[in-house]
Amino acid sequence: MTDDRLARLALSKLGEPGSLKMAGLVAELGAESLHAQLLAGGGSEALRDDVASRLEDCDAERDLDRAARLGIRWVVPGDDEWPASLDDLDTSDPLQGMGRAPLGVWVRGPLRLDQLPSPVAVVGSRSATTYGTDVAAELSAGLVRSGSAVVSGAAFGIDQAAHRGALAGGGPTVAVLACGVDRAYPSAHRPLLDHLAECGAVVSELAPGCAPTRLRFLARNRLIAALTRGTVVVEAAVRSGALNTASWAGRLNRPLMGVPGPVTSAPSEGVHQLIRSGAATLVTRAADVLELTGSMGEHLAEPPRATPRPRDWLTRAQQQVLEAVPLARPAASDSIARTAGLGLIQVRSTLDGLARRGLVEQLPTGWRLAEAADQG
Amino acid sequence: MPFATARTLALSGAMGHLIDVQADVSPGQVATVLVGRPDPSLNESRDRCRMAILNSGLDWPSSRRTTILLSPADLPKRGTHYDLAIAVAVLGATGVVPAAALGDVVLIGELTLAGGLRSVPGVLPMVMAAGQRGFRHVVVPEPQAHEASMVPGMNVLGLRSLAQVVAELRDEPVPEAPPVAAMSSTRLLSWRGAGRIDEVDLADLVGMEDTRYAVEVAAAGGHHLLLSGPKGCGKTSIAERIPGLLPDLTREEALELTAVHSLAGALEPGDGLLTRPPFAAPHHDASTSSLVGGGSGNVRPGEISRAHCGVLLLDEFPLFRADVINALRQPLESGDISVARAEESVVLPARSIVVLAANPCPCGDFHADASIDRCKCREVQRRDYRRKVTGPITDRIDITRHLRGVTPTASRDPLAVRESSATVRARVAAARERQAERYRGEPWRLNGHVPGPALAERWPLSPAATDLVDDQLWKGRLTRRGVTRVQRLAWTVADLAGVDRPGTAEADIALRLRSGAPLLAATLTREAG
Repeated sequence: MTDDRLARLALSKLGEPGSLKMAGLVAELGAESLHAQLLAGGGSEALRDDVASRLEDCDAERDLDRAARLGIRWVVPGDDEWPASLDDLDTSDPLQGMGRAPLGVWVRGPLRLDQLPSPVAVVGSRSATTYGTDVAAELSAGLVRSGSAVVSGAAFGIDQAAHRGALAGGGPTVAVLACGVDRAYPSAHRPLLDHLAECGAVVSELAPGCAPTRLRFLARNRLIAALTRGTVVVEAAVRSGALNTASWAGRLNRPLMGVPGPVTSAPSEGVHQLIRSGAATLVTRAADVLELTGSMGEHLAEPPRATPRPRDWLTRAQQQVLEAVPLARPAASDSIARTAGLGLIQVRSTLDGLARRGLVEQLPTGWRLAEAADQG
Repeated sequence: MPFATARTLALSGAMGHLIDVQADVSPGQVATVLVGRPDPSLNESRDRCRMAILNSGLDWPSSRRTTILLSPADLPKRGTHYDLAIAVAVLGATGVVPAAALGDVVLIGELTLAGGLRSVPGVLPMVMAAGQRGFRHVVVPEPQAHEASMVPGMNVLGLRSLAQVVAELRDEPVPEAPPVAAMSSTRLLSWRGAGRIDEVDLADLVGMEDTRYAVEVAAAGGHHLLLSGPKGCGKTSIAERIPGLLPDLTREEALELTAVHSLAGALEPGDGLLTRPPFAAPHHDASTSSLVGGGSGNVRPGEISRAHCGVLLLDEFPLFRADVINALRQPLESGDISVARAEESVVLPARSIVVLAANPCPCGDFHADASIDRCKCREVQRRDYRRKVTGPITDRIDITRHLRGVTPTASRDPLAVRESSATVRARVAAARERQAERYRGEPWRLNGHVPGPALAERWPLSPAATDLVDDQLWKGRLTRRGVTRVQRLAWTVADLAGVDRPGTAEADIALRLRSGAPLLAATLTREAG
């Protein structure tokens, strides 16, 4: 057990998640010396005042033991399991006075954070509609089937639908919490979180036992965005925490995607605004998401296209003639030429060509459309 | 005394009329005349009665003029159950039975030539009507004594022959008589699916949380429901499970329903009081009269009445004939159906939960989700089809749900909670108890049946919720009728949640249920857990 791990643990408990001050000092002095300074009553004055009340009650080794007994591990930068994508937070601009990579994260569950296959965040409103939850579940199931991991926040609504869709798809999924990984918030999601701890991972930068607060949710959102290659917002009203996650994805220059809803639906308004402003790309299915989050050229999605019809391949002159051929009552080629506004000789040869394609048929009285042309 | 009166009943629809059968035996041209608008089948009654009396070892007044009047004389009368009353009236007129003994007893039954007493349809509603008129004694054919005794406080005498009836009226020891056959029909076929509706459970279905909640609301408040969605998405499956969500019928409801089935002659021997809510799913070829009631001769209750207090499913409802669909307007609104005939107009109860199921297009494969749309219909066909779905009927439907096909994702979800019918039924029963408490002393029992004005005046939504609903009316998204429907739904949602007065949350859910918009996932958290 290196001292750096313990120092980071202690410091993470002293400060609040997302604290720029703490992260800045750790980067400057190193965790160990900062911790030593604080214990000695020294260090930056502002920080010392902040942490004074928490300093007495801090025993990093005891915490680590207790967590290990609960099957919870502490992952810090430099560990094998440390997901490098979190480091991008150190270079991105802060948002609402928060930012920087966490000092470490607590992980519960068998999934290793460094081995998440092209992780994608699927987030959205807690007050989602069943349209949104259905779409989120389908999308997540599609993503894990294509080999992606799904990351979300285990909240009501879209988040839980995303986790459950990924579980149904039999793929890896990670919940990032704003409280200790041993706690269930919301409490109704105890079964979901236990299940994730058994076959996925539950992650938080807050020590076991910590309770969620409004600001901790905002700090948590930056981890969701940073852990993943892209963020999909499924349903978000104009005031929704999911939009905060979306802003983080923007700060990190990771693809931001939105699933549209009915234009009359309030829970989709925030998403529509994201798409309208150009911040988010419109996606409707897992393939669209993979195209943006997969490695370059790996998941090029075929745009939906109508099935080609025989008429699609015709030249303009051929189309002109075909339009002039009557449906039921045969017409002579000179009358067709008149209707089409083309020369008789050209029309005759074109009609022969169309007949070879089976689009028109010649009767003793003239030309008319063959049945195949009906569907064109 | 040459004159006597016996009592029996005539049924027209769900109305029972007390009939005085008066017999007068006096000198004159020898004949037996039956007056008082009997129909031809009733005229045969004279011959049955005469032979039954003679074969019972009694005397028919064959040397005098016998006049039999069925009064009130203006009411048309049909059926064979008058036989017993006619025979006894004649015997009273000839002094074989004391005329005084006939005053407070109602006689029902058909006679055989040997004097046996045969079963007749409609005994239960007749006995109910007799009970309401203050009669306490009734004589019925022995096999139907059980049916008649369902009416509380009734002194039922089930007898086998005319001779036994006479002995009973004369207070003499009742002679032996051979047992008589029960209603002649027996079920010739029994098929594997006969009891299927009792077997299906909500736990069999995966996903569809939105629709599960909708049927729970429909069951709790007695609201009508429209389910639309591509074929094979589970519309019929979930509709079949609604009866299982309904609690047992109250005694009053059970009597009403059993009476309707008795009228239809659909009560099988051995059926006691029907205590489970019925389920009827007529085929889309059904005629108007088979659905709403009618037929030649007696007006028989249609499927909609036989589903009284239960569930009527019209599967593939746009394929029903237009006149059939229009005939549903009245029962959807008022809970009864009046069938007007040339000579009479009868009113039958028809207070069921009507479930309409519709495909999105004639071929059933249309899907708004482009990736799974395989519809081959032409746009014109689809438009015609939709016109049948949206119309005056759908405005009378409280809840609209658009089902999506269930994807494998739903069935593989390891955390899905599949509630059983019994779990939901318990919540429905609790919600119905709250309604019964609130509407104590009123003629209606469920939110779905409360008249709009009463609801608006005595049980209004919270002011904020009223604003929310009125706002939709202003925007033209709701009709006046729609507002009432939303108010009823909001009450049911509140009753299910145990809320004392519907607020904006309940009104929002009600608006979504009515408009077909997806529900908020939070509404369903109980299931999503």
